[in-house]
Amino acid sequence: MTPLSHYLIFSGVLFSLGLAGAIIRRNILVVFMCLELMLTAANVALVGFSRAQGLEGVPVYDAQLLVLFIMAIAAAEVAVGLALIVAMFRARRGVESSSLTSLKD
Amino acid sequence: MLIWLLIVPILACLLIGLLSAPGRITALVSAGITLVLGLCAIIVGMLPDFDTECLTTFCGIPLQFTTATPLCSSMLLLTVVVTFAALLGMHAPSKRAERSWSISTLLISAGATGAFLSDNIIAFYAFHELALIPTFVMIGYYGRGERRTIAWRTTIYLGLASMVLLAGLIMLCMGMGTTSVAQMHALAMVYGKMPGTPATMGIISGLLLVGFGTLVSLFPFHSWAAPAYASAPTPIAMMHAGVLKKFGLYGLFTFAWALGPACRFLFGGWNDVLLVLLLGNVLWVGCVTIAQTRLDKMLGNSSVMHMGYLFLAFAAYVASSGSNYLALQGANMLMLAHGLSIAMLFLLAGQIEYRTNTLELCAMSGLARKVPTLGFLFGLAGMASIGLPLLANFAGEFSIFLSCFIGWAPGTTLDCGLGCCFLDSISSLLGGLGPVQLCVVFALWGLVISAIYMLRAIRRVFAGEIAPCCEKVPRLSCTEVLSASLLGALLLLFGIAPFLII
Amino acid sequence: MLQNLPWLFLVLPLVVAAVDWLFLQRCPRTAACCSITSAAVCFILCLAYLCGMQTGSPSVYEWFPLPSHSLTLGLLMDALSMKMMLVVTGIGLLVHIFSTGYMRGDTSNHSRYFAGLSIFMFSMSCIVLADGLLFTFVGWELVGFSSYILIGHWYDRTSAADAAKKAFITNRVGDFGFLIGILLTLGVFGTLSFSDMAGQQIDPAQSGVLTAVVLCLFCGAVGKSAQFPLHVWLPDAMEGPTPVSALIHAATMVAAGVYMLVRLQVSMGTDAFTPSACVVICTVGAITALLAALMATQQDDIKRVLAYSTLSQLGYMVMAAGMLSGEAAMFHLYTHAWFKALLFLAAGAVIVRCHHEQDIWRMGGLRRRMPLTTLCFLLGTCALVAVPGFSGFFSKEAILTAAWESSIPLFVIGALVAVLTTFYMVRLCLVAFCFTARTESAERAQEADSAMLIPLLILGVMALISGYGFMADTLVPFAGFRAHDFEFGVPFLTGLLALIVGGGLAWFVYGRRQKKLDTDPLASCIFSRALRRRLYIDSFYDKVLIGGIQQWGAAIAHCVDDGVIRRLAGHGTALFVAWCGKLLSKIQCGSLRVYVLVSALGLIVAMILFAFTIIH
Repeated sequence: MTPLSHYLIFSGVLFSLGLAGAIIRRNILVVFMCLELMLTAANVALVGFSRAQGLEGVPVYDAQLLVLFIMAIAAAEVAVGLALIVAMFRARRGVESSSLTSLKD
Repeated sequence: MLIWLLIVPILACLLIGLLSAPGRITALVSAGITLVLGLCAIIVGMLPDFDTECLTTFCGIPLQFTTATPLCSSMLLLTVVVTFAALLGMHAPSKRAERSWSISTLLISAGATGAFLSDNIIAFYAFHELALIPTFVMIGYYGRGERRTIAWRTTIYLGLASMVLLAGLIMLCMGMGTTSVAQMHALAMVYGKMPGTPATMGIISGLLLVGFGTLVSLFPFHSWAAPAYASAPTPIAMMHAGVLKKFGLYGLFTFAWALGPACRFLFGGWNDVLLVLLLGNVLWVGCVTIAQTRLDKMLGNSSVMHMGYLFLAFAAYVASSGSNYLALQGANMLMLAHGLSIAMLFLLAGQIEYRTNTLELCAMSGLARKVPTLGFLFGLAGMASIGLPLLANFAGEFSIFLSCFIGWAPGTTLDCGLGCCFLDSISSLLGGLGPVQLCVVFALWGLVISAIYMLRAIRRVFAGEIAPCCEKVPRLSCTEVLSASLLGALLLLFGIAPFLII
Repeated sequence: MLQNLPWLFLVLPLVVAAVDWLFLQRCPRTAACCSITSAAVCFILCLAYLCGMQTGSPSVYEWFPLPSHSLTLGLLMDALSMKMMLVVTGIGLLVHIFSTGYMRGDTSNHSRYFAGLSIFMFSMSCIVLADGLLFTFVGWELVGFSSYILIGHWYDRTSAADAAKKAFITNRVGDFGFLIGILLTLGVFGTLSFSDMAGQQIDPAQSGVLTAVVLCLFCGAVGKSAQFPLHVWLPDAMEGPTPVSALIHAATMVAAGVYMLVRLQVSMGTDAFTPSACVVICTVGAITALLAALMATQQDDIKRVLAYSTLSQLGYMVMAAGMLSGEAAMFHLYTHAWFKALLFLAAGAVIVRCHHEQDIWRMGGLRRRMPLTTLCFLLGTCALVAVPGFSGFFSKEAILTAAWESSIPLFVIGALVAVLTTFYMVRLCLVAFCFTARTESAERAQEADSAMLIPLLILGVMALISGYGFMADTLVPFAGFRAHDFEFGVPFLTGLLALIVGGGLAWFVYGRRQKKLDTDPLASCIFSRALRRRLYIDSFYDKVLIGGIQQWGAAIAHCVDDGVIRRLAGHGTALFVAWCGKLLSKIQCGSLRVYVLVSALGLIVAMILFAFTIIH
């Protein structure tokens, strides 16, 4: 039985990677993937907690159900997000996040 | 019945606005109906046997109109009369302007009527806001000079003041547990209820004074007023300076009256500050008025200056814990008189501008030789506004000054040992005068100041040799004479028989 | 109903004024008739009351009735007020009649003129009959107003319009003090009614406050009776029609200040006039008397000489009132009213007949062309310079005696003023009436017509006889007045000496060099130039007070108001808000990565806080 701490460490590393990517990278597509990474990290943590809270090898299914919901919504979000990015690429010939400052001026 | 005072002008507005009824005629008919209705209401309301209240609801909102508060009969009279005179004496530049001027005059009139008659505090506030809107629009569209700037400044000043005021009103209503003025009066008089702890009351009264004070152009918050009046089209200036501005004072006096003896606890903390500020109105703005070179600016500033006397009455009323009936009635008289006289002055200024195409004091001269009736009417209104006996303003001002000294008695003479009897007498007097009395002594100098600016204006415009711009001017038409005489006759009536308003 | 008959004194002229002004603009003759009728009715009514008619006490007008502290207007019908009313209505009636002659041929609006006279009659009656300071103040302001419209009757003349404005504003300055005095009176006595004041005991501990009360009330008298330093309006007021100058600016209105002081002494009691207050009143009176007499010696305008002479005589009266000798003050007020009205009306007749020439150096020789007018003027002059046997002699004697008994310096000033009075009046008579005509207009002058002559002759008779006991005892506006037989003492001798010295000096300067005289031989000396320029008091007021305060002060206030309050406070607030917005908008840098970083940091901080609060 994998202890909870392993799940959490893995989830933390995954989240940090995602966060660092979101901060550092300029390409919005990569930033978007990093966001997905962070969502996945959250899912991993949820799964870990559901197992740790479970009794006699049976996990708490509420959390696992939640994970499924998150994945479904994330899929929908990816669809919308990618569409937006594609539209943006068409409009501006590039997906650099640093060039998205038209609201500021 | 009172609700018709509101419905008739709004119906007329709809007729003019939506069905393109002829502007001036429709408005005049509506103003005539409200004039008759208003006079009936006032006369009926004065008879003690009649029930003075008339309960109505509007879409479930309590909209109780009443003539029970001490000031509202005279304010109602002021509203209906000034509306009628403003519409009768109006000179609109075009048909389109005539229609929008008529609509805004009627809307202001309806809003003011609603505010003065409402028993419910929230309705009282909302009606005033309704009346303010046309003012801004009319200054912005039809004003003189840099009208957009002035309209915006007025909007911001009055909008902010209304917000502050609303906060104060809500706190007051929550403190008293009711939104009805009549209930508030009953609670305060019977149970001695107060709207909160001393600290809360300080905040409430501060908010109310700043809010109402800005609306009435109390000293440091006055700079919107004179340019706005100078810029606004004549009927709007008449309605705002004459009628709508009295809303703030009406509110202050009504709440002070409603709270009875408790008003001293509510407003007393700010009384000394108020006394200093009102001296700013009388003396400082008085000096500013002298410096004006345009007739309309001068009239606007003079209106700001006279507000000082009304705040003086308020301070005296508060200082006496609401027992100073003379202060209340003096203020009532002066509010009515000032409304009539300033409206008449703006009306005549409009007619002067219509004839000479200028309001610069230096450009005009000798107008009375050409239009003696205009000179007579302007002289009457001017003399009224500087407080000549037999005209209504004198009754108001004099009773206010007297009321400040009621209940005052000199203390025993302090022997200052200065060796000089005059210094002794002055010092003992200063020691014996309370803050209100001391303030009166300074405020009386306003009598001299107002004489200076008004006589200078009359001298410049009407006396002397005839200036080029006054050479070929038409005489006054019948409606112009009628509208000004209506106001003048009332000034004279209330000056000779001020007891009529009690 | 009959008991309210005294209200007719007020209601009739007021109604007539309104009718004249509003409805009779087109028919000046009818307007004049209405005004004269109302003045005549008032005069007859007044005579009837003086002859002992009783109608009971008039009812009180509830002007502003309140549960407590009602403001009421009542009439006080005692000897003081009724006899004063006789002076007012009597001279008023004569002036009304004279005006019809004087205004003939004038193109201005006569209806307005007669309406103004009627308003004046109304407001002066208010002052005289008032039973309380409130009513007095009402009349006080209204006489100022009627004086304003009458001085400015020819308002298209710049000088008249300016003079009217000056008179009103200067009076307002005095009224400022007067009103403070009224308010303090309410505090000290608890009432404004003269009859209620009369019964009150005065607490000696309040003498300081009482001094202030009396001095503040005296301010009103300083304004209305044109005492120094507010005397500047009266000489300018001569821009009005001459009958107006006679009635308002010589006989009645300007005497209202003296009347008010005496009325206060009667009702408050002389105890209320503390010694220090009396000193101030006497000093002001004495300064006015002396300065005005000095200035009168060098005026060239016939009306201005008389105006300064009025000032100086008013100074006498105020001085007498300050010496608590109300009897002498009212006696002089009463005789002065007749003879000064006479002098002014005679001067008016001269002016009209010389085609509105007012400069005495452009007259001359009028005694041959207008013998009756000259005779009347001489009668007035004799009364004014106190030739024994004329009315002015008795009243001036009374004042000098009072001064002799109370203070030597005041007596000396009084004597000096008497010398100067003789000097300038003899100068005036010599230059204007004697020798030969200097200009054509004086050459062609004719005797005045009957509408002017009849009032002149009546006044002339009054100037002669009004000082004798048989007239004075019943008519001097002071209760229980007895004209005292003059005594052969210091005041009498001084008066006589003053007459001789002043007359001799004037004869020495102006009488000898008969024909050559076209300008004043003294005009070149520095002192005389200062006197001609009114001792620079007027120019000081014009430059320093009006120029300084009205223009500079007002301009500064305007600039500060516009600059500081509107721009700095108003616009400043707006700019401050805008600046704050700019500052805060810096945070919105637009870089997505910075936003993410900031939110990540925020997350970390939140987590740390969360963790520590959970653990501890």
